[in-house]
Amino acid sequence: MTDNLLSNIPFDSLVVGEKKGPYTFRVSRELADNLIGAVGVAGEASACPPAVYPTLFLMALRQSMGGIPAGSILAKQELEFHKPLAVDVDVHVFTWIGETYLRRERPFVVIEFEIQDDVGETVLTGRKIIVWPTGPGEV
Amino acid sequence: MTLDIGMFQPMVEVITQDSINRYAELSGDFNPLHVDVAFAEKSEFGGTIAHGPMQLQPCFRSLCEVLGVDALPAGVTMSITYRSPARPGDSASFSALSVEENEDGAEGFKVHGQSAKADGTVLADIKLVIPSE
Repeated sequence: MTDNLLSNIPFDSLVVGEKKGPYTFRVSRELADNLIGAVGVAGEASACPPAVYPTLFLMALRQSMGGIPAGSILAKQELEFHKPLAVDVDVHVFTWIGETYLRRERPFVVIEFEIQDDVGETVLTGRKIIVWPTGPGEV
Repeated sequence: MTLDIGMFQPMVEVITQDSINRYAELSGDFNPLHVDVAFAEKSEFGGTIAHGPMQLQPCFRSLCEVLGVDALPAGVTMSITYRSPARPGDSASFSALSVEENEDGAEGFKVHGQSAKADGTVLADIKLVIPSE
């Protein structure tokens, strides 16, 4: 049942700028084919479709911090595509806390990602901006 | 390359608990708000909600179709602001609201679109920058 455990990292325990990874994942044909059309409706991807990248973010987050904490709200997401990626290749994902801040008394956390191909070239950068379930001084 | 609003054909993603469960398997994100109906019914959402990126699926598909690619080319950027969650039974559709030529130096286009439910509820605002080549 460890797969279902959720992160519960308090806002005050987040360390800005501490790069974690690389976490290595296979962009399998199954993953690509299941995300090139409607979710789970298998198609045939000739290259890595864009929908794969948010799943890689989630996979990396599970390893770096146990996933997104329960009670958090995904507010924004940004993606920058640097290079098309093939299928059936390994990628290396780095993740780090880019920024934490309060806006209108709500705690926001920016989680940055960089995905590199198997020769170390950046294929995608991006970030999730999340309303964190705990604020300063809360556990 | 030219780009105009008529090139973006409506693309729909029907959200079901099965598709949410499948996305959980693909991404490894088994947050009970997504996959545990009993847990989610007691939450502030009153039921399960789709993973945020599932709302982007119609946008990804539409953009790839317009560009005639499976993988997006270098230089494409996306900025998504989530407005409300999608639930089982919802149909998330992407539509482009405006397409403008880039005016900040780089050749290309700025596209503003939305992912929305059939009743018009906006799920996400999406801003794209697409280079010319």
